Amino acid sequence: MTDARTMPAPAADSATLVRVRGLHFSQGRRKIYDGLDVDIARGRITAIMGPSGTGKTTLLRIIGGQWRPSAGAVEFDGVNVHRQRQKGLYALRKRMSLLFQNGALLTDLSVFENVAFPLREHTKLPEAAIRDIVLMKLEAVGLRGARKLYPEELSGGMARRVALARAIALDPEMVMYDEPFTGQDPISMGVLMRLIQSLNRSLGITSVIVSHDVEEVLSIADFAYVISNGQVLARGTPDEIRASESEYVQQFLQGRPDGPVAFHFKARPLADELMERA
Amino acid sequence: MRGGIFSVLSDFLSGLGRAQFFLLGILRAVPAALLRPRAIVKQLYMIGVLSLIIIVISGMFIGMVLSLQGYHTLVRFGAASSLGVLVALSIIRELGPVVTALLFAGRAGSALAAEIGLMRATDQLSAMEMMAVDPMRHVIAPRFIAGIIAAPLLTAIFCVMAIGVAGGHAIGVELLGVDAGSYWSQIRANVDVHDLIQSFIKAAVFGAVISWIAVYQGYHAAPTSEGVSRATTSTVVVSSLSILALDFILTAFMFR
Repeated sequence: MTDARTMPAPAADSATLVRVRGLHFSQGRRKIYDGLDVDIARGRITAIMGPSGTGKTTLLRIIGGQWRPSAGAVEFDGVNVHRQRQKGLYALRKRMSLLFQNGALLTDLSVFENVAFPLREHTKLPEAAIRDIVLMKLEAVGLRGARKLYPEELSGGMARRVALARAIALDPEMVMYDEPFTGQDPISMGVLMRLIQSLNRSLGITSVIVSHDVEEVLSIADFAYVISNGQVLARGTPDEIRASESEYVQQFLQGRPDGPVAFHFKARPLADELMERA
Repeated sequence: MRGGIFSVLSDFLSGLGRAQFFLLGILRAVPAALLRPRAIVKQLYMIGVLSLIIIVISGMFIGMVLSLQGYHTLVRFGAASSLGVLVALSIIRELGPVVTALLFAGRAGSALAAEIGLMRATDQLSAMEMMAVDPMRHVIAPRFIAGIIAAPLLTAIFCVMAIGVAGGHAIGVELLGVDAGSYWSQIRANVDVHDLIQSFIKAAVFGAVISWIAVYQGYHAAPTSEGVSRATTSTVVVSSLSILALDFILTAFMFR
C-alpha cells in the first residue's frame, strides 16, 4: 500500500541524508507546502514527482537553503539547513549541488570556464589538474568538443548538460536535478539517465530528481514521492508507486485530464464569467 | 489621501533602509573583491572604457558651447581674455563631475542594473549561491569598486576634452580669436589644486552612489523582462536626482 495517508514516514537514521519535517511554505497568498515530510536516502536516487505548480523546484531551493520555510525543519546530514549563518550554509552547499532547470550557466564564461568555476573557487588545484577534471566532466556529458563555446551558442538541452558537468565538478555528496530530461533528445536522455545512475552506483552520490518524465525517472529511481496540494500523496519504490491504488497517483502517472487532480487553476465557472461580461 | 502619502513615505524609507543594508553588505565584500584585481579591471573596461566615447564627445561639445556663450558675454565687458578661466572653473567645479556622472548613470549605471537583473532572472546569482560562491564578493563588489575608480577618471577626461584643444580652446582661441597665451595663463593663475581635488571628490562620490544604486536595483529586480526594465529606468532616474542633490550638498560644504 503506497498511499501516503496510510504509510508512515520512514524513520530517520544515518541512512537518511536529508530529512524534511512539517514543512510549511507560501508564496504570497498561495500555500505551497502544508506540513510536508520527505526523506532523501543516502546514496540512493529519489524521485520527486507531481503536477506543475506543486512546488517541486521550491522544495529543492528550500533544501539548498535558498528559500526559508515559514515552519518546519530541513536537515542535511543532521544539520538544520536554515539555522546556519552564511559560512555554515556555504559549507553545506559545498557538499551538495543543484542542477537548475534552465542550466543557469554564467553567460560571460565559456563552457570550459563554467565547469572550471567551482574548482577555481573552492580548490587550489594546479591549472593542469583543473583542465583534466573539466575535460573528464565534459566528456561524461558528451560536450568535450563544445568547451570553447559560450552559453548563448548552446541549445537548451546542451546548456543543461554543461550545467550537469558543473554540478558534479566537485564530486558532491548530493546532486539535486531540476527537470534534467526536459528538452533532451532520446539519445541525450538515455546518456543522462545512465550518467545519473553511474554517478549514484560508482561514486555513491545521492540523487534527487524532480521530473515530469514519469517513466524515465521511475526507471532509475530507488524511491519516489508524488506530491500535490502541499503534501505527499504517495511514497514508495517505483513498483509501489505504479501499483498505487490512489486515484490521484494513477491520474498523474497516466496523464489523464480528469480526476481528483484539477487541470484548471482554481477559478469561478467559465459560464459565470462569460455571462458577467455580457 | 493621507494614507497614500504615508504609504509612499513608508515604502521610500523601507527601500532606503534595505539599500543601506545592501551597501553594508557590499562594503563587507570589498576587501575580498580587492584580492581579485582581474575582476575589477574587467569591470573597469566594461563600465569605464566603454563609456569613453560618449564622455569624450560630450566633453568636446559642452566645452565648445560654454566657450561660445562665455565669449559673447565677456566681450561686452572687455573681459574676453578671461574666457579660459570661465570655461575651466565652470567645467572643473561643476559641469565636469555632474555631466560626467549623469552620462555615466545613463550609460554604465543602466548597463550594470540590466546585467545584474538578468543574472538574477536567469538564476545565475542563485547558481553562484548554490555553488557556495558569494555573489556580493564575486559580482557586486567588483562592479562597485570599478564604478568608484571609473567616474573620476572619466571626469578628468571630460574636463580635458571640454577645456582643451578640441573643446573650449578650439572655439575661443581658434575660431573667436582669443589670445592663446591669456587663455591658458588665466587658467593657470586662477585654477588651483583645491578645485581639482574637490572635483575629484565629487566624481568619486557620484561614482560610488551610481554604482550602489545600479547594483541594488539590479540585484532586487523582479525576475521578469518588466522587472529588469524597471530596474534600469529606476537606476537612471534615482541616480540622476541623487547626483543633482548631492552636488548641491557637496558644493555647499566645499565652497563655504
